[in-house]
Amino acid sequence: MELQLGLSLPSTPIFPFKMLDLNSYGYELREGLGPFGINVNNNCGSCSSSCNSSSSGGADDGGGGTKTRRLLDEENRIVPKTLPLLFWTNQRPNDEDEPKDVDDHSSSAIFKNDGEGLVGWPPVKAWRKKVRRRVANVRAAVENSCGGRASSSTYVKVKMEGNAIARKIDISLHHSFESLTTTLMRMFDISDENGQKSFKLTYLDREGDWLLAEDVPWRTFIRSLKYIKLIRSRC
Amino acid sequence: MLKKMAFSFPDEVLEHVFSFIQSDKDRNAVSMVCKSWYEIERWCRRKVFVGNCYAVSPRMVIRRFPEFRSIELKGKPHFADFNLVPDGWGGYVFPWIAEMAGAYPWLEEIRLKRMVVTDESLELIAKSFKNFKVLVLSSCEGFSTDGLAAIAASCKNLKELDLRDCEVDDLSAHWLSHFPETYTSLVSLNISCLGSDEASFSALERLVRRCTNLKTLRLNRAVPLDKIANILRHAPQLVEFGTGTYTADVRPDVYSDLAGVFSSCKELKSLSGFWDVIPDYLPAIYPVCSKLTSLNLSYATIQSPDLIKLVSHCPNLQRLLVLDYIEDSGLEVLASSCKDLQELRVFPSDPFGAEPNVSLTEQGLVAVSLGCPKLQSVLYFCRRMSNEALVTIARSRPNFTRFRLCIIEPKTADYLTLEPLDVGFGAIVQYCKDLRRLSLSGLLTDRVFEYIGTYAKKLEMLSVAFAGDSDLGLHHVLSGCESLRKLEIRDCPFGDKALLANAAKLETMRSLWMSSCAVSFAACKLLGQKMPRLNVEVIDERGPPDSRPENCPVDKLYIYRSIAGPRFDMPPFVWTMDEDSGLRLS
Repeated sequence: MELQLGLSLPSTPIFPFKMLDLNSYGYELREGLGPFGINVNNNCGSCSSSCNSSSSGGADDGGGGTKTRRLLDEENRIVPKTLPLLFWTNQRPNDEDEPKDVDDHSSSAIFKNDGEGLVGWPPVKAWRKKVRRRVANVRAAVENSCGGRASSSTYVKVKMEGNAIARKIDISLHHSFESLTTTLMRMFDISDENGQKSFKLTYLDREGDWLLAEDVPWRTFIRSLKYIKLIRSRC
Repeated sequence: MLKKMAFSFPDEVLEHVFSFIQSDKDRNAVSMVCKSWYEIERWCRRKVFVGNCYAVSPRMVIRRFPEFRSIELKGKPHFADFNLVPDGWGGYVFPWIAEMAGAYPWLEEIRLKRMVVTDESLELIAKSFKNFKVLVLSSCEGFSTDGLAAIAASCKNLKELDLRDCEVDDLSAHWLSHFPETYTSLVSLNISCLGSDEASFSALERLVRRCTNLKTLRLNRAVPLDKIANILRHAPQLVEFGTGTYTADVRPDVYSDLAGVFSSCKELKSLSGFWDVIPDYLPAIYPVCSKLTSLNLSYATIQSPDLIKLVSHCPNLQRLLVLDYIEDSGLEVLASSCKDLQELRVFPSDPFGAEPNVSLTEQGLVAVSLGCPKLQSVLYFCRRMSNEALVTIARSRPNFTRFRLCIIEPKTADYLTLEPLDVGFGAIVQYCKDLRRLSLSGLLTDRVFEYIGTYAKKLEMLSVAFAGDSDLGLHHVLSGCESLRKLEIRDCPFGDKALLANAAKLETMRSLWMSSCAVSFAACKLLGQKMPRLNVEVIDERGPPDSRPENCPVDKLYIYRSIAGPRFDMPPFVWTMDEDSGLRLS
């Protein structure tokens, strides 16, 4: 497969655009383009046959059963056929629950219209925050089958009440609350007194809520953890 | 000695002359005159602008401009605003801060756009730059209020803290109390993006009270209406003010308090905020309306009659941001009342609804174009358009410099003739000879690109979505638009040919973004191999592009010129096409 690169001289373009009569558009509008635009399939297994046709250009009808056709207008000039777009996806972003901040007047979710929608269209900035949070949650849920964190960084900030200095801890090294608390106790020099825990483990989750770690299972904790705070337990 | 013979002025004089030249373009031109001027200029350049943080490395910048005081950096591509750039793509500011902290401590201003800023970065800024004055973070993310607390606590000479459109982890509102009681130099504070949970009102009030030079204050949604009066009372010198939530139970004492306080603000020129506004409280701002030049009502969910009333009170308005609740009727009133209008942005109140919820059509834009002789910048969301309207707009308003039209449903044809909107947009580029920025929408064929390539000679930024028929379209743009710097394309049938035929053009531009188009992996590799001064990034969350046939289209493509070479901070779903194997993983 050869791709010509018209790099050196602008006078030798890949194919002579000047020869084309730009006033007669002999080719029909694209077919098969629905409101959801063009996107590439998730598995490209089906795309290999269609891929072949897109690579060979209008100037070369190539061997090997290319699907590109040439349209000739009345004066027999070559008018490149529009590259066939054979990739469809019905992008199905997850049907999520209603967004959490109800006080936003524009409460319509980006995934309206029966759960189908285009990413980033219409190009309105304000939606970014809500969508990012939801997408992050979805990604976390999907990727977190073995209790690992979805984001690439596994370091989490830890603060202790009464201590100005925040520390960082690699959460991927832990798989249970026991190991985590042991490490934290060592880190902040806390000890159990008379078998009573002097500190409680709390954390800030993705939704912006502070929760007690002992109230949730480890997986849930890991998935939504953003920051850890140790607060004194008052008895 | 030969050097001195060539010039009649000593270096210091030249330096003094250069100090009057502020624009980057002019400075760059000055530096190219001769070696001597290059040297003098680089030592006295005080402001550096880097439009793409990956185009150059921090060390290169510092090496060339050893004494700059102010830096502006931009990170992610514009389409990141619309979630088209996956999280983790890049744009980290920390390496820049680290290098600058080491190089010299006298940096005063940092302005960032679409970059990832961490608390560590903010803490490093706070620690390293003793005379730090200005921090503007525009559409940035990655930091929390902890980082802000560090800035507040340490930057004794801070004048400006502007967090427009940022995503901040709101851990605690008490970061404001970290401004020491002795700190009084604040001139501009924009915290409108912060969360809605709690706000430290007393700390805010005390801060406003002691910073008598405060000119700009943009509050966040957490500040309720009854608190605004208290805050404004201490700052009658404000020029720009952003309210918090503009709603409360309608009480005459709250109202009169508010109205009284607004009337004492004699310098107020710009208003924004107005979340959840209820019309009953709007007249409180009438005393300042006649002096207003800028009004941002893009969060104000009030209907056309109330908007009309408000707008009629503002004859000196130059800039208006509003929701489409204003409707055509409101825009007609705007056209007749605000003859100084220069910029208009109309946002959709219900962008995802299938049916129009308001009566806002192309007529509103036509009215404003006909009625406002100074109008030069427009961002307009609507649901229908016609070639006729666009031609009228173009003819009546040839002074447009920025024209961004978003017809909400992709590929919407001219509603009168059912034809593509090629002719309409063609008229825009033909009549508006100074057009610098253009966003297209609606049903468009390759023809519109032919018009653009032929006429849009001053066009610097073009945004295209769901348009065109073939590579010819892209070829027209790349070969015709001489001033093109940024091109962003999504969901268009543009493939390899136009891109490869115009490869050299890409080195004259800042960047090219193409997503959901038809550019093959093979073409990307070829570009990467043949063009060493371009970074060709393939962004594909499906997996490595070489796990699919070479002629498969890539999902997203971001090409930018760079003298820093490929970057090494890429996430697993970004590949840089390189000279070696054509594939480089981070």
